[in-house]
Amino acid sequence: MTRKSLLGGLAVSTTLLAAPAFAQDCPVKVGVLHSLSGTMAISETTLKDTVLMLVDQQNAKGGLLGCEIEAVVVDPASDWPLFAEKARELLTVSEVDVIFGSWTSVSRKSALPVLEELNGLMFYPVQYEGEESSKNVFYTGAAPNQQAIPAVDYFLEELGVESFALLGTDYVYPRTTNNILDSYLKSKGIADEDIFVNYTPFGHSDWATIVSDVVALGASGKQVGVISTINGDANVGFYKELAAQGVDAADIPVVAFSVGEEELSGLDTAPLVGHLAAWNYFQSADTPENEAFIAAWHDFIGDTSRVTNDPMEAHYIGFNMWVNAVTEAGTTDVDAVRAAMWGQEFPNLTGGMAVMNANHHLSKPVLIGEIRDDGQFDIISQTEEVPGDAWTDHLPESAPLKSDWKDLGCGMYNTETATCVQMTSNY
Amino acid sequence: MSKPDIAPRRSFLAENPSVMWFLGLLGLFTLGVTVLAEGFGLALLSTSMVKILGMTLCLCLIAVAMDVVWGYCGILSLGHFAFFGLGGYAIGMWLMYARTQGIVVESLANAPIPPTQEEINDAIATQIFGVVGSNELPLIWAFADSLFMQLLFVVLVPGLLALIFGWLAFRSRVTGVYLSILTQAMTLALSLYLFQNDSGLRGNNGLSGLQNIPGLLHLPQSTIALWFFWASAAALGLGYLFFAWLVSGKFGSVIRGIRDNEARVRFLGYHVESYKLVIFTLTAVISGLAGALYYPQAGIINPAEIAPIASIYLAVWVAIGGRGRLYGAVIGAAVVSLASSWFTGGGAPDIDLGFYTINWTDWWLVLLGLGFVAVTLFFPRGIGGLFDMLVRKP
Amino acid sequence: MRLTALLARAAALLILLACAFAMRPGAAVAQTALQPLLQEHRAELAKPSRTTIGPVISALLASDHPGMTGFLRKWEAREVYLRPEDGLFFYAEEAGDMLRLIDIDSGAAVAEVGSREVDQIRPNAGVRREVAAALVPYELNAPDPARRAEALDAIARSAEASQIAPLAASIEGETDPALKTRKERLLTLLVAQFGETKSERLDAIAGLGGDTSIEARSVLNQLTATRDGVATALPDDANIARVLEVGTDLTEAEAHDRLVAAGLAPPRQTAADLRDVLAQHIVDGHVGGVPLHQLDTTAARARAYEALEQAGTVPPRAAPDEVAQAVAAHVFYAEYLQPDPQITQAAEDALAATTRALGLYQTADLVLDGLSLASIFFLAAIGLAITFGVMGVINMAHGEFIMMGAYTGYVVQLFIPDYTVSLLIALPMAFAVTFGAGVAMERLVIRHLYKRPLETLLATFGISIALQQLAKNIFGTQARPLTAPDWLGGAITLNDIVGISTIRVAIFVLALIFLALLLYILRRTRLGLEVRAVTQNPGMAASMGIDPDRINMLTFGLGSGIAGIAGVAIGLYAQVTSEMGANYIVQSFMTVVVGGVGNVWGTLAGASLIGFLQKGIEWFNPSNTLAAQTWMVLFVILFIQFRPKGIVALKGRAAGD
Repeated sequence: MTRKSLLGGLAVSTTLLAAPAFAQDCPVKVGVLHSLSGTMAISETTLKDTVLMLVDQQNAKGGLLGCEIEAVVVDPASDWPLFAEKARELLTVSEVDVIFGSWTSVSRKSALPVLEELNGLMFYPVQYEGEESSKNVFYTGAAPNQQAIPAVDYFLEELGVESFALLGTDYVYPRTTNNILDSYLKSKGIADEDIFVNYTPFGHSDWATIVSDVVALGASGKQVGVISTINGDANVGFYKELAAQGVDAADIPVVAFSVGEEELSGLDTAPLVGHLAAWNYFQSADTPENEAFIAAWHDFIGDTSRVTNDPMEAHYIGFNMWVNAVTEAGTTDVDAVRAAMWGQEFPNLTGGMAVMNANHHLSKPVLIGEIRDDGQFDIISQTEEVPGDAWTDHLPESAPLKSDWKDLGCGMYNTETATCVQMTSNY
Repeated sequence: MSKPDIAPRRSFLAENPSVMWFLGLLGLFTLGVTVLAEGFGLALLSTSMVKILGMTLCLCLIAVAMDVVWGYCGILSLGHFAFFGLGGYAIGMWLMYARTQGIVVESLANAPIPPTQEEINDAIATQIFGVVGSNELPLIWAFADSLFMQLLFVVLVPGLLALIFGWLAFRSRVTGVYLSILTQAMTLALSLYLFQNDSGLRGNNGLSGLQNIPGLLHLPQSTIALWFFWASAAALGLGYLFFAWLVSGKFGSVIRGIRDNEARVRFLGYHVESYKLVIFTLTAVISGLAGALYYPQAGIINPAEIAPIASIYLAVWVAIGGRGRLYGAVIGAAVVSLASSWFTGGGAPDIDLGFYTINWTDWWLVLLGLGFVAVTLFFPRGIGGLFDMLVRKP
Repeated sequence: MRLTALLARAAALLILLACAFAMRPGAAVAQTALQPLLQEHRAELAKPSRTTIGPVISALLASDHPGMTGFLRKWEAREVYLRPEDGLFFYAEEAGDMLRLIDIDSGAAVAEVGSREVDQIRPNAGVRREVAAALVPYELNAPDPARRAEALDAIARSAEASQIAPLAASIEGETDPALKTRKERLLTLLVAQFGETKSERLDAIAGLGGDTSIEARSVLNQLTATRDGVATALPDDANIARVLEVGTDLTEAEAHDRLVAAGLAPPRQTAADLRDVLAQHIVDGHVGGVPLHQLDTTAARARAYEALEQAGTVPPRAAPDEVAQAVAAHVFYAEYLQPDPQITQAAEDALAATTRALGLYQTADLVLDGLSLASIFFLAAIGLAITFGVMGVINMAHGEFIMMGAYTGYVVQLFIPDYTVSLLIALPMAFAVTFGAGVAMERLVIRHLYKRPLETLLATFGISIALQQLAKNIFGTQARPLTAPDWLGGAITLNDIVGISTIRVAIFVLALIFLALLLYILRRTRLGLEVRAVTQNPGMAASMGIDPDRINMLTFGLGSGIAGIAGVAIGLYAQVTSEMGANYIVQSFMTVVVGGVGNVWGTLAGASLIGFLQKGIEWFNPSNTLAAQTWMVLFVILFIQFRPKGIVALKGRAAGD
């Protein structure tokens, strides 16, 4: 026993020696946990570059707390267990002060236990299915009520859709989103037989039958609309089939939650004009902030044909909020920064002000865009800022749940029993 | 600190000095890691490193199993990683259920009225399956509350699957590359099944948070990592010893005979199919055990883990390490998997050629692929072959 | 607010007047200007919504201003801008980075502004549909046939009773025969829905019987739409579609839910309700005399509730059979929305006539889809049928050859913008590139491994991951566009049910061509003879003067080259990514093995089996494609167990090894 504590003491003293004496732990380290290889590299590499650009910009402005910011980039290679491993490495070996990372929900759920165990801090930039609020994660992407629900409202009210086809890739985001939408649609008086659901594997390419099935829904005499949570590459085949079968946006509109500027760059968009996407950001937003952001991006990446997209804006907001919170707190200490994050405001690229709420979700405007033939979107609807809802109101199990880290100190608070269900998050 | 190996028969060890060497080295390595680790020792090895080393030991164990079934018996199975994954899923179900049960019971304890059993079960199901949009516990989770049953499944599920599949395939005399393709199809079917959200195993999300061991939540991960490291080392040691013993005797001669000329062994009167079936099933069981030790260290298991490509990588490790010698498999698995994580983790420095910067993250797989071709062409005996040359020359 | 608005309006008028005078004093004589009319509805026009725009459009059209329809068309096409500072509407054209604003009435350029100084008005698709419907009477006789066709589309999308008269009137003067047929057909559909007299409606409905088009079925389905009803007795005045039997048509629980929803029965007490009620009556750690810690079973909770009930603190719970009683006391039925029974009967009859044809067509469509999928599998596997089937070489990099072909197509399109020409060049290019790659691979790697087939598998796997990563490094990880020329873009349709996209037909044809070509090469040419000789007995073949090295090289090159062409074809209908090959490799191997190795016909049989099987399983469970794939693979595994040599098994000596 004594020997062990001796060894422990030795270890402590060596760590102390290793650290530069009394310096305000310079440089400030920012971990980047995005896949640079494997299937998700498609989307995530862009986000890594975005963070690097933001770090460069901040360093040009004089760094943070008088320190240079240093980005530590690791590659979890689209391998979900590696997200846990790399997160641990970032927090314990590289000792980063914050992590920007993850795309898929499963990768986030893989990193979550590690973040909570080591009290790390992560900014997650992608729209997701909600039903989660971790003390150690700030969700800068859209929750379902900031993307799916407004899009469905748009379908119901503006397009008069009465019969819905919910098409998705078979994984958690489409499943949960479609569950929420299913119960939301029923609460709006849509009958069960007017909701067609289909799940396909990742990278699916044989869309002929499914598109015909959707077209056949029109025989009921109701206006048909498609809500697509199809992910990644599979969209290419899907939209090609839509075009081939001549599905006109005026007859059967398709709104997608995972198709942005980046995904459209793999397609000839001429036959898709008029189909929709719902996001919190479109590159075509006409504001001075966005113009500057796009210019900086093109400058950084050295290619003016590269597009910007919603998760990039999420990182832009998240990074700047974090910088402001650290400046306010005067330290990079996670607990202090977290407290400073609540209520943090930063201008959106699309106009208006994003606010970080106590449930670790942002208030952001919801935009609906129509695909143009140049691969960009015409913004046809932009709401006021909608606060992100960690637990949806449209599922019976989640309706009583609430997240409030500031006052309740709990991410999964049951308002019916007035108890905190759990302090760790649901992974 | 840990001496995982039991004292084996003298004669067998005397005949096989390489086994002694291996066990000795493994013991030394375990001791070294223990001394250096954060949990008990000098804290020179980070917990994430201990976990990586522990997981590598599990991969070495399945590589040894793969070597037995391929290097010794000549069955190029592209399905052993599926067995590995099944073992992981079996133990993962208990880990997840028991941890969630703890959370649920604790949160319901504050309720004004004590919860009924149904309420507890409902809450557990909602916690686990809420993520994938369901709130009912599927039938296959019926025994998830029992550690004993799930441990039994770690052995039984891969074992039974291997037994049934092997019986069907060997009975029909499917051999060679056809068998490889068939095992690959089996892996594909299993991973496709698990990818479905309705599979009852949380689809693409898989089971997560497995590193938090129920009942041991108060212990730091540095300690738990070390425990699992020891368990993995013990499992590798025992597994190695077992397989070394298995392939050294008459049984070993017969399966090597099957590898070299199946028809001749059959004409000698041996029931080839039974031998193959025994080897196939045994190695599947060991693979399942290795998986059950691996995934609590990895923290998450999901269908992508058992995609067909993982099993091919397994064959690659064994081939690079050197087939037909157990330590070759261990070397192959350790070297390739550690090198992969070093190169893709940004550990290796980029090489600036002036006109182009070689970024290892991008080029590692190209190098691995081509290196692998080179090994197959020029060093069919792999790294282990180099060992042989070193040992025999003097 | 109002003052500024008034001022703005006055200013606008002044500007307008000034413009009018400055421009052409004579032209704008009696016309009132458009702008003031629009200003009356500025808010609705600037931020249009489907729900509110209808009356606005009617009001605007009611003004009978000659420029109004023109304005609405431009407004709908998003060519109208609003300048926030004065609230005026303008047309605009691009002028470099700036926008040149054009006055709506005079057509004169007014100013050049930055894009952020004005708001582009973007009516959404719902609003556009309303506008199109409102403009129908004006457009039906438009001189441009395209505009007339659009008006007819508008009728099809949003049919209204008011459209009957103008549509009927426009048929007479229609010159285009196709449009005339379309107009007549739409008229039938409209009359069936909204006709004035019952007899003309019945006639129109009868005319729709057996018509499988979506339009016709949608009209009939609307006419026969029902709503659920519940009452103590069947209402006399309702047009009842059918009475629902509890137990067969709906369960008792569902029936009770309907009663609850209709307010005819109180809701059942759920377990959660019970718990909440009990929690409200905790006295000194007891509920109804039962200690709290015992309340963890349903039975104890029921006891506690009964105790409370007897004490009179809570209302009595529903008796268990009350649900059954309530359900039994009511009748459940479905009621037509359409009140006239004769019309609903006619519509049902017409639908019944349609159903028979429908089933036939749906089967035909399923067969077409299966055929198409089979041809895709065949095309992906046919190269493998040569390298694996004929030569016995396991080539795990086959999928990457498919990918290389597709990327070749993409690169060719980068240089040649015309899709037809680029496709014609891409196909031979893809063949050449992958032929070269195949030959190189055979010479450098596979040649050394002919005696070790399992190691060929591993070595080619190494090449496969290297090629895949190389493609990522060169082309990036994003999917790349490979676009089919327009003549391959659409679909070939028999009717609204049976149809197939042209590109799939092209793939089918391509598959047939390759089948024929391969059969010809293998059976009728010198090369084919030599290939067969070398694969059956290399030693003997060599002694007959055949160079086995050359033959192996050529055969492997041929197989790889075909994979390249398959890649172009697959890329045209699906996505081009570095991983596209990996998606086909296992399936291709299964295709070859199931079909029977060493025989091109076998590969065809294997592809057909797998393709039709997958479509068949999908048909049973259309909501989950992944499940269909799982079952398909499982079937293949079992199939091989019981027929290891595949469907078309070679017999006798040809079976070789």
